[in-house]
Amino acid sequence: MRRNNLVRTVIIVLAVIWSLWQLYPTFIVGRQKNEAESYFAKVEQQTALQRDEINEALNSGQLEQRIRERLRHKSSDSLQQVMKETSSLIALHDKISKNDAKAIKRGLDLQGGTYLVYEVNLPKLMRDVAKNKDARFEEILKELDQVAAAPNTDYFAALQKRFADAGIRLNRYFGSRAQTDAQIIDELKKEADDSIARNLEILRNRIDQFGVSEPSITQQGNRRVVVELAGITDVNRAKNIIGKTALLEFNLVKEPQIFQDIITKIDNLLKRDLAAKSGAATAAADTSTADTTGAGGKVSQDKAVNVSELFAGSSIAGDSANASQDSVQVDKEIFSGNPFLSLLRDVGSGEVAVPAKNVRAVERILNNPGVQKVIPPDAEFAWSNKPEQVADEQYYYLYLVKKEPELSGALLTNAQQQIASGAGMTRQGEWTVSMQMNDEGTKIFSRVTGANVNKRLAIILDNKVVMAPNIKEKIPSGSASIEGSMDADEAKDLAIVLRAGALQAPMQVIEERTVGPSLGQDSISKGTWSALISLLLVMVFMAIYYKLSGVLADVALVLNIVILLACMAFLKATLTLPGIAGIILTIGMAVDANVLILERIREELRTGKTVRTSIEAGYDRAFWTIFDSNITTLLTALVLYQFGTGPIKGFAVTLMFGLAVSMFTAIVVTRVIYDYVTRRYNLKTLSI
Amino acid sequence: MMQFLGETHIDFIKLRWKAIAVSAVIILAGIVSMIIKGGPKYGVDFLGGTVIQVHFAQAPDIGDVRSALANASYGDVEIKTFGAPNEILLRVHEQREGLAVSESIMKALREAFPQNQPEARLVESVGPKVGRELRTAAIWATLISLVLILIYVSFRFEFIFAVGAVVALFHDVMVTLSFLSFFDLEVNLTVVAALLTIVGYSLNDTIVVMDRIRENRRIHRDAGIEKLINLSVNQTLGRTIITSLTVLMVVLILLFFGGDVIYNFAFAMTVGVISGVYSTVYIAAPIVVEWHKKAEMQKIRRGVKVA
Repeated sequence: MRRNNLVRTVIIVLAVIWSLWQLYPTFIVGRQKNEAESYFAKVEQQTALQRDEINEALNSGQLEQRIRERLRHKSSDSLQQVMKETSSLIALHDKISKNDAKAIKRGLDLQGGTYLVYEVNLPKLMRDVAKNKDARFEEILKELDQVAAAPNTDYFAALQKRFADAGIRLNRYFGSRAQTDAQIIDELKKEADDSIARNLEILRNRIDQFGVSEPSITQQGNRRVVVELAGITDVNRAKNIIGKTALLEFNLVKEPQIFQDIITKIDNLLKRDLAAKSGAATAAADTSTADTTGAGGKVSQDKAVNVSELFAGSSIAGDSANASQDSVQVDKEIFSGNPFLSLLRDVGSGEVAVPAKNVRAVERILNNPGVQKVIPPDAEFAWSNKPEQVADEQYYYLYLVKKEPELSGALLTNAQQQIASGAGMTRQGEWTVSMQMNDEGTKIFSRVTGANVNKRLAIILDNKVVMAPNIKEKIPSGSASIEGSMDADEAKDLAIVLRAGALQAPMQVIEERTVGPSLGQDSISKGTWSALISLLLVMVFMAIYYKLSGVLADVALVLNIVILLACMAFLKATLTLPGIAGIILTIGMAVDANVLILERIREELRTGKTVRTSIEAGYDRAFWTIFDSNITTLLTALVLYQFGTGPIKGFAVTLMFGLAVSMFTAIVVTRVIYDYVTRRYNLKTLSI
Repeated sequence: MMQFLGETHIDFIKLRWKAIAVSAVIILAGIVSMIIKGGPKYGVDFLGGTVIQVHFAQAPDIGDVRSALANASYGDVEIKTFGAPNEILLRVHEQREGLAVSESIMKALREAFPQNQPEARLVESVGPKVGRELRTAAIWATLISLVLILIYVSFRFEFIFAVGAVVALFHDVMVTLSFLSFFDLEVNLTVVAALLTIVGYSLNDTIVVMDRIRENRRIHRDAGIEKLINLSVNQTLGRTIITSLTVLMVVLILLFFGGDVIYNFAFAMTVGVISGVYSTVYIAAPIVVEWHKKAEMQKIRRGVKVA
């Protein structure tokens, strides 16, 4: 017994020392951060650098260099003063980052940040890889969109079945002629699975360059990526960088004459359709709105027409467009003769512009199966990526480009944002992104530009035309630049995604949880306060109700929390707000083990047993009760851990550790103290 | 020795039918309430949609917020203040994947209230697919933990104890869901975590009593099951009251000081803790009593036949 207790005592003491050692960084890092604040303020003030800039330089280890550059005109005295403060800041920063790594990790809900789940957009991927797409294909894929939206379904199995049911062999759209359906499905699956690994890498690259500290990017299942960004302020910008496919292509623009011909053909087609519908459309509405931009310079009256009525017969099945957005502006005079042309505007530069309101209507017409047949097989339509303001109307441009790109972003070696010097087409001070191609790209670019002088080359990013400049001469250098109203951030972000490369498969956000930093701070303080108040109340209660034995239980309780937090720091577990709730709950539950034991001891005392035998019996009898009840709670905590996401997992983790630790503190720690006290003082009565 | 209660001899089992009637009324009312309100009030976690908590510098006019959002073609948005009048909670049940709902809503608000600095404090956006997945996962989690408990308790005690315990747990979950429905509170992921914790806690309580029954059965071999249970419940009553009080104290503190984010969790816990203590005595124990009574009757009948 004695020796046994010695071993136990040693274990307890070691556990306490270990815990304090584990918790020290957490404790000290807050102070160091406060201390760093004052240095930050001084350096900010003396160098006029922004906080973000200082942080960035600190992280890359270039702060001293940066400040020297900045203050090279200042006197050496003041420079020395700043350098002294800077070196203290750097030293402190090193300490902080070292301690931060060992401190208890706070979840996104506590420190602010964003949790994003992306999923490979299988329907979009299928549309991207398919060849010879036609109306039938689109129809089937549209039906399959519902399968993709349902949970736990096998998209590929559904795809295979749906095409087989329709009597279409998959090799009509995918793979090569000789392949069977099963082979093609296997290949498509492999493509989707492989793309996620590649996407993961590209995302890491992009996020690293974006400059987020300690991002977490992990794969979840086969087709999902979870991105966790702590302490981020501009979530939308981050989302733009992460989610953008960033497929860059250079496509030649078709001659204007071809475009004109197609417009005429579409008009004829629509007129036929309309005539068949007894001209009900022209009487659709007569609420007219003034529009000063007329086709061919003519000022004319526009009128609102409900397009869903107009093209109801020919629109794609299942297209449920928003009615309010279908109210479009058409040119009254030419509407009846040229229903399609009337939606478009010639803005003089030979480019075709479409008022923002008409974009949907034009898209629907272009998607019409009959219209699709009119478009030459080697060409496709593409929209401009941003609207342009002309007078008081916003316009998008519509381009007819060659389907096959001349070259793609995969051939880039570098992309950098730059501020324009004022030469060339850009205005001074405007941001551009300059790109450099590799040898192969340079060769192709040189050949393409040489062969197509005076034609236009569209630079297309994610199927949207960024710009379509005229080729003035052969460009042998393999460098190109993207211009167009961008601010500094947009240019920087575009350069990042171009450098990191295009995603192998398109992805979409399916879950987002963002907590602003102020709310996180709020949660921490509320959580901490609740925990402290609970702890205090429970401790006071125990001390009053069970006297000295209660105080002993309190000691166990405090130890319980200290060891629990230490375990979390050691295992790099994340503390979330539900996690704090878990700790608070542990406080409540840990008391239970003590109460069970103490009540049992009281019972034994009541039967007239001596203090020592009562204590022994109390512990022995209570042990299995405590064991059974903790195991069952542990079972539910395990299930929670298995099924939960982020914060809930945090809750399950604290609950599990809390239970395990409370068994230790309630059964072992208090027992050793009792044993020691009863032996030492040979107690006749127990304060209980 | 400070004690709330001395040795007690309360006949808990006698009251069982009345207690069961009370439970039945609460759960039935809960089910009716849920049917009227169209099921439990699921949060975006389970339904899909977007919740944004927007902080304004000064309290905005709710009507203005509504019209600003309507202009951005978000007509069907639930808008309410959240805690302070300058904290607004927006809920959109947009059922499409990959939509940047939060971005466009914040953009619309920033344009409509340029002076008032709207800031998104919290965004939770769940696509319908994930919502359905989480719902299935939550149901499975609850079922799996109940089955695990059934197995463990049958293994440690006897099967009928396990049945009693699991029915009691199910009772607690239903009572908690009922109260959430009465108070029109949302069922989200943290509430499911609370439900599972209640399951764990309530079971803890049941096991303490069952453990006592097991022990007493060895001591009082000839006592009837009713007497055994009454004795055991009375013997553990001190512990039950102390533990429930401390746990209740703790969840009440969470409820009042834990902040809005954790409010539903704390509310569910409060109801569940009370229900958990009650169900041990009035749900789990009666099942064991009735089952044993039947078994005894059968034994007697068989005995009569043989004789």
